[in-house]
This record gives sequence, structure tokens and C-alpha cells, in this order.
Amino acid sequence: MAEKHASTIEQIKDVIYKSCLYQDDLEWNSWLDMCSDDYHYAIRAFSPEIRADMEYMGGGLEYMKSLTQMLPKHNTDNSPLKRHCTVYKVEVADDGKSASATSSFVVYQTMLDGINSHVDAGESRLFLVGRYNDKFEISNEGVKFSDREVRLDTRRLDKGSHWPI
Amino acid sequence: MSARNHEQWTSPPKLAEGEWVDSRIYSDQTIFEEENEKIFKHAWIPVCHESELKDAYDFRTMTIANEPVIVVRGKDMQVRAFLNVCPHRGNMIERRPSGSFKEGTPSGTPKRMTCMFHAWQFDMKGKCVYISRQEEGYQDRLCTADVGLRELKCEVYFGGFVWVCLDDDIGMTVEDWAAGALDCLAPSLNEEPLEVFHYHKAIIPCNFKLWHDTNCEFYHDFLHYHNRITGFNDAYFARKNSGFKNGHINVGSFEVQYDNYEGFHSREELSFPHLPPNHWYMIDMFPGVNFNLRGSALRCDLMTPLGPDKVMIEFRGLGLASDTPAERQTRIDHHNSIWGPFGRNLHEDLLAVTAQGSCMHPSAEKRNILQGRHENETIHDENGMRHYYHEWGRWLNRSPSNPDEEFDEALIAAASAKPAEVQANA
Repeated sequence: MAEKHASTIEQIKDVIYKSCLYQDDLEWNSWLDMCSDDYHYAIRAFSPEIRADMEYMGGGLEYMKSLTQMLPKHNTDNSPLKRHCTVYKVEVADDGKSASATSSFVVYQTMLDGINSHVDAGESRLFLVGRYNDKFEISNEGVKFSDREVRLDTRRLDKGSHWPI
Repeated sequence: MSARNHEQWTSPPKLAEGEWVDSRIYSDQTIFEEENEKIFKHAWIPVCHESELKDAYDFRTMTIANEPVIVVRGKDMQVRAFLNVCPHRGNMIERRPSGSFKEGTPSGTPKRMTCMFHAWQFDMKGKCVYISRQEEGYQDRLCTADVGLRELKCEVYFGGFVWVCLDDDIGMTVEDWAAGALDCLAPSLNEEPLEVFHYHKAIIPCNFKLWHDTNCEFYHDFLHYHNRITGFNDAYFARKNSGFKNGHINVGSFEVQYDNYEGFHSREELSFPHLPPNHWYMIDMFPGVNFNLRGSALRCDLMTPLGPDKVMIEFRGLGLASDTPAERQTRIDHHNSIWGPFGRNLHEDLLAVTAQGSCMHPSAEKRNILQGRHENETIHDENGMRHYYHEWGRWLNRSPSNPDEEFDEALIAAASAKPAEVQANA
């Protein structure tokens, strides 16, 4: 089965990695152009404190477009984030029209203006650890994200981020 | 005069006593230790919510003034608090943030708090029920009745929050302690059970009072695009900022225009009981607690000072326990859009206090931090902070504007009277 869908699996890996580069470079429109009309995005984590699953951010395609357009109006920590992602598992449906993928990621933050730039700027810090749980729609036009769950291990979020991860 | 030299910069501002504080109160190690000893060990602290302890034998652990604390729900469903310290060798009994004692542990049996070190066991009322090899080691000199846990004062109050106080002699209930500050939200929070749906923590390189200040003053809404666009109308500027006994304050409500922010919508459909649609109340409790109700979601911040320039802030989000899954998701969306770790406002607040902390580290020179705005005790008046530091000065017997001097109640009271022109406009 994997052999049958080998090229699709490679295509999906390429899509995930390309999306990381777009997000790293704050090219939000290019990232969201890779998503289907019914796309849903969520950042979630399990809390051992309240022993419950939690959602930290969530919304459909229109919400994400609106969010990314509005963020430049907000004050933010402009320290760049870089995603290091490895796709561990891709499963393509028998009919070849959908797929899911599991990737591990870490996000590094290279300090710019978040604390005292004279001291901290240029230092890279581990920002987040987690997994991407992705789903895809596959058609003649190619592969599109239909769902992304960012599943965080990190729950101490000192300044967080305005930006989708 | 434009820019100032050092003498001008460090001279007292042209404001009345009590309208500025000395920045050393945000950075001095001795003051920090005094705050733990004289304030945090004697105040009621809402350490968690009862929904975090739903079943008998559930527990939560936390820290107050560097003392490890455990809260447990007994078989009788009563919530009790203890020092999370074994009376034998002073080990921390339970290391997990939460869980259930229904299951046994590697060193102990079910339904007991067991210290893993030497397997001493305690029931949910803090009574020691087992000492390993008791007779061999202690003969008849010491028995289980002699070595119970240290029980702490504990109340479930105000929508199910679990309040703990380390001081046996505090001499007042949580209701007495609140002194009316919670009344504006009590009908909304006490109508039906609440449930925590959100928890995250931040550890910020700044003094805990800087976060509390930010919660106490709304003048900083200039920081928040969201708040400017959804507020900043006549009703917003008319919100009253009121002080209560024991250093608490609250900020009155108005109707937020959520529709003014692109992509956001009215929260009318899920207002908390008795709360007018889209209204927003804020309560700041001395010494470092905040309750914040924006229509459909309640937020609670709890500050745990870790050093003069370090604070842990725990953020909780709560909805109604009776929520349907769809209602809960909507509440979570509302909460996160502003207050989540990736929300519009919280990140901005944390950035601001981090930047303050960068300027007030322990070796920084002292500066004058102004809190002298008078606007008829409305939302951009800084009377909330002045009220807080009046109480703070009393507890530490230090002048907030010169912590080397003793607190002078009469001087502050005289100076904190409203300026004549403000009284005339009131």
C-alpha cells in the first residue's frame, strides 16, 4: 500500500515542510493557500494540572485569514521563530483522496526584542516542543491541508506568541 | 525643562505622597522576603477551583510563600488543605501537580497519602495512619496520633474557588477578607457550578506587583489594539474603579463592542448568569489575585512570587459546568481570542511587564514609578494602584515611595485626598 502511494507520501512531506518555511517567513497567505476551504487549525495540550485536554487557539480558514491580517496592528515579540519538523508517519486512504500525517517539531526563538535586546538579541532559545497532527485532501489539483492539530508538550508559555505555530 | 539630569530624574515627582512608588519595591531581595513572611503567609489565596478536585481522593498541589501545599477532597467530599510535607523527615509527600489517591503508589496503599521516602501514610483528614516499623523504631515513645499533617485553613467560596491561608490566626473568613470586593460578580458565579477549562502558566522576569499593577490599571489599554477598538467610548471611560478594605479593588462594567474587531462577534448568547450581555467586570484581590469576567468566560490569575524579579502566574479559564460541548467550545474560543497564550491581549500584557522587569532588576538604580492619575475614580484613574500600595505599606510598615522609611498612615491619607479640581468635576 505504501508503495502504491509512494509519490503521494513524498508530496505530503513536501507540503508539510513547505508550510513550515512559509510560517517561519511569516508568509501567512502562502501558508493558508495550501489549505482547503473547510480547513480547521487548533493548538491543543493536555494539562496534568487540571487533568483535561485544552485548546489554546482554534479556528477555520476565514478566522485564520482574519487573524493573520489583524496581527500587525498588535504589539508583539518580534523574535523570529524557526520550526524544525520531522514527518514520522504518513497514511494515505485506500481511495487516495485523503491522508493523515504525524510530525514532531521543535520551535526555536532567536531573541530580538522580547526582553532586553542589548543583552538577549541574537540568542536562540527552545520555544516549543510538540507534534503536528495533519489531515489532507488529495485531488487532481494536488494536496491541501484540511486539518491541523498542533499538540503541544510545552505548557509554560511565558510570552506565548500571537502567531500560529 | 525637557530631558532631565540625574538629580532631576531621581528627585520626587511633582505629585502628592502616595502618588508614586520607589522602584526598589519591585526589585529588593529583603522586601521580597518580607512580602512572603508578612503578607503571603497571612492572606487568603485562591489556590485552585473545586472542579479540579471533582471526586473523593482527588488532590492538587501548589506553593504559597515557598511552602508546599496539598489540597485533597476527602471521602466525605470535604476539601481540606495541608502542608505537603511529611512530619518525619520533611520530604514532599506528593510530587505530582494533580491526581487521585484512589490508586496505590509504589510506596503506599490506595486511599492514602504516602510519603515515598519511608512509606508513612496519612488519610484524607491528615491523620497519620501508618508508620513503617513503628514499634521497632519508636517503641511506645511516638505513635501515629503524634504525627498528623499540618492542616491549613481552607474554604470553598466564590463560585467554587478553593482558598487557603497559612495563618491559623487570620481571624476572618474569606467573605470577611473580600470585604465586598467580590459582590459585583457573586450572583454570576454562585448561580450554578463552574468548571475550569483552561490552565497555563508563565514565569516572567519581573516582580509580582508589576503584574498586579497591570491588572489594576486600565490606562494601559493603549497597549491593546483590541481594547481600544472594542472600548474607548463614553461608557468605557465612565467605568468606576473602586477600592475595598484589605487592599482589594474592582472595576465596574460596560458593554464591550466585540463586533468592532474584525473576525470577532458578540458574546451575548453565552453570558454568565445575571450578567448583562457583553459586560466585563474585573476584581483585583490583595496581594496578587485577579478575577476577570468578560461576558461568556471567567479568567483567574494567581501570582506566586519566586523572587524579587521573578513571578509565576497561573492562568485559569472557567465556564459553566452545565455547558453543552458546543457552548463550551464557544466559551473556549472567546477566552482564547483575548486571554489565551496565543490570544490578542495576554501576550501584549506579558511583553509590557517583561520590559518593566528589564528596567527594575535588583541592581538597577531607584526610579519613581508614577501612579498619580486622578479621573474621578474612573477607569483611567490610578486610584486602584494607590489603594493597593496603601495596604501594602501598612502590612510591611514601609513607605511605598521610600521603603527605607516607616509607613505613615496619616501622611498618605492626607495626600490621597482628591485634588480640588477633580472634586469640583466629580
